[in-house]
Amino acid sequence: MKVAVQNNAKVLALFAIACTALVSVVNWLTKDTIIRQQQQQLLSTLYDVIPAERLNNDLYHDCQVIAGNDYLGGDDEQMAYIARMDNMPVAVAITSAAPDGYNGKIKLIVALNVDGSVSGVRVLKHQETPGLGDKIETRKNDWIYGFNGKTVEAENDLRWAVKKDGGMFDQFTGATITPRAVVKAVKNTALYFNKNKDSILSAQTSTCRDNND
Amino acid sequence: MTERSEYKELSWQGLWKNNPGLVQLLGLCPLLAVTTTLTNAIGLGLATLLVLVCSNATVSAIRNWVPKEVRIPIFVLIIAAFVTCVQLLMNAYTFGLYQSLGIFLPLIVTNCAIIGRAEAYASKNPVKQATFDGLMMGLGFALVLMVLGAVREILGQGTLFDGADLLLGDWASVLRIEIFSFDSKFLLAILPPGAFIAMGFLIAGKNAIDAYIAKKQPKVETDKTIERVRVNFEG
Amino acid sequence: MTFWIASSPHNHIKAATPSLMRFVIMAAIPGVFAQWYFFGWGTIVQIALAILFAVLAEITFLAIRDKNIKSQITDFSAVLTGLLIGISVPSLAPWWITAIGSIFAIGVVKQLYGGLGFNLFNPAMAAYVLLLISFPLQMTSWQPVNSLLVDDISFFNNLWLVLTGYTWEGFSVEQIRMSVDGITMATPLDTLKTDLTLGLTVNESFANPVFGEFIGLGWEWVNIGFLLGGLLLIAKKAIDWVIPASFLGSLLIFSFIAYTISPDSSASTMFHWLSGGTMLGAFFILTDPVSAATTKKGRVLYAALAALLVYLIRKFGGYPDAIAFAVLLCNMAVPLIDQYCRPRTYGHKGVN
Repeated sequence: MKVAVQNNAKVLALFAIACTALVSVVNWLTKDTIIRQQQQQLLSTLYDVIPAERLNNDLYHDCQVIAGNDYLGGDDEQMAYIARMDNMPVAVAITSAAPDGYNGKIKLIVALNVDGSVSGVRVLKHQETPGLGDKIETRKNDWIYGFNGKTVEAENDLRWAVKKDGGMFDQFTGATITPRAVVKAVKNTALYFNKNKDSILSAQTSTCRDNND
Repeated sequence: MTERSEYKELSWQGLWKNNPGLVQLLGLCPLLAVTTTLTNAIGLGLATLLVLVCSNATVSAIRNWVPKEVRIPIFVLIIAAFVTCVQLLMNAYTFGLYQSLGIFLPLIVTNCAIIGRAEAYASKNPVKQATFDGLMMGLGFALVLMVLGAVREILGQGTLFDGADLLLGDWASVLRIEIFSFDSKFLLAILPPGAFIAMGFLIAGKNAIDAYIAKKQPKVETDKTIERVRVNFEG
Repeated sequence: MTFWIASSPHNHIKAATPSLMRFVIMAAIPGVFAQWYFFGWGTIVQIALAILFAVLAEITFLAIRDKNIKSQITDFSAVLTGLLIGISVPSLAPWWITAIGSIFAIGVVKQLYGGLGFNLFNPAMAAYVLLLISFPLQMTSWQPVNSLLVDDISFFNNLWLVLTGYTWEGFSVEQIRMSVDGITMATPLDTLKTDLTLGLTVNESFANPVFGEFIGLGWEWVNIGFLLGGLLLIAKKAIDWVIPASFLGSLLIFSFIAYTISPDSSASTMFHWLSGGTMLGAFFILTDPVSAATTKKGRVLYAALAALLVYLIRKFGGYPDAIAFAVLLCNMAVPLIDQYCRPRTYGHKGVN
């Protein structure tokens, strides 16, 4: 009896070792490619909102962690990627969130030029109603390009609202809450940037990713 | 049974008569969840196929050395290892598809079709047959995924091969076919209830074909067939 | 000598299906009339289209199934299903919306499950849910109440609008839906929901013209119309009074509890009773004898569950109205409810 149990344990252990070995080998083989893929994915989003020809720094590694605050949609930590041309900052891409979407948070990335105007906005993740609220995606509609070049003048800038509320942005037929939430989030992100421009741009060392790769 | 007829029987069982998707109704969870586009369906179908072939071959190869008492944990270990490998490979080489399949890729581990074949067939048969069985069962599952994915993509978006570049690289974006375009898409087809309804019609279609064939064939040796009790379980 | 033994159920009211169905259809007239009065000819156009497609689908599927078409088509059940779909579909929705709904209701929900008497779900409501989640845009195209419109729309123009998407003069649905001040109108339930998400209180939201002076301009009369028809059905014993009573009573309790807890963000019971499809649901849909629970106790539970779901979905859900979702979910619960509310067989101790 005891022998049988020991025998079984040995066989199990052997298989566990063999399987772990197999997984580690594959992991070791694919590790670099996976990291490169993740970088590329992020960079392609970043270059979407800040055209690549406007910068010549290593955008992926030049970034800051921003503690969550009400301007950026809550307590989640956000990132700021700083685009520089010959070491002069040209634009910053800040991840943000719209807390009041129709169906939970809408995660965004908002790129702002140093003069405060919007360079581009993309939705990273959302759960809005298909067919109504999902027109914030570039695949479905051009709506999100409407932010390009716009500037938030002040906290009470009335133009930063959907047309139904007297602003300058279109709403979608049958869905007002989603565009309203996105407009508000972009506006708040821009306001945050205007207030903290100096501290974000002057930081010399990047505060993210210093130990993971 | 000669070897040739055995292979024929294995193909028949895997692709049609005992199809894991349509008849055994195994792995319904990924089947219904990821078939919103043909590309997703092909991606998950290939991943499952690969895991099934590898796990069947391995389980069969080791069947004489594994004590009966610990065979299930060992099967699970083997399947989990292969799934993790496939997952890492897809993460590295088909990143976009890896992201759109999301949680359903690691969940292949829990697909009953895989452990079911390991236990029911591979652990009792030689490597060649077991591998072939894995291939046929995997193909049967992948085909159902693809049909469902194609139907739902056509109804829901009016396209085929949307996002094929995620799976096959940038050149594949030319594969995308716009079958028809309309302002209001039939969203139900892409939503979960649409998956159940489409699946119901597929199963009904298969049964209708079987009934038609049975009606066509002259009534011979009907009393010879033995009713086998098959236990369906879903996981 | 042989004894003739009647098998259960020992029914004393001998109302055959056709006459019952005809009576239910008649009873819907007050509500339909109110809907026509406030929302124009679109309602009538939709009802006619829905009945047409429902009957055509019924004939087609019965023919495919080799059933006796004549005896089944004259039971008026397809007409009733069509009528309910026509009432639920927004008055300005394009014709193919109604067609898809009717064909799905009859073909899939009714005939695939075995025809009248075997359908698990209420066909009209299943079709409504299918349409709502598939075509959310078209399914919100309710015309604002006539008095808020810039111009009245004639019957011909309305027909043209449903068939082509434009009126004869070339106005689109969008333009029609603009009210006097140029804002696209939503239904009262929808408006309240949007306003509450924005942080307004119920009272602030009620300043919107869609609410009129009472609950929701027009909608309250439509609901009162269906209430009248429903009371008539009860008086003639065509439907069981237990279901509407339990449904409306439970809705009263739930909305009262919510109102006590947070009066600023909860609408009153009257609002819940008289907006959306509450009365239509209470008297014409939940009472469907095929898909409702069978015992008295079961029916009380069934309708109360529906009321709870309606309240929760209206308050927290992603869609403004909830009758259809609640009815389908309750239809699913019916076998379970019947299992536990089965009357005790003589000589046995309760349910095992």
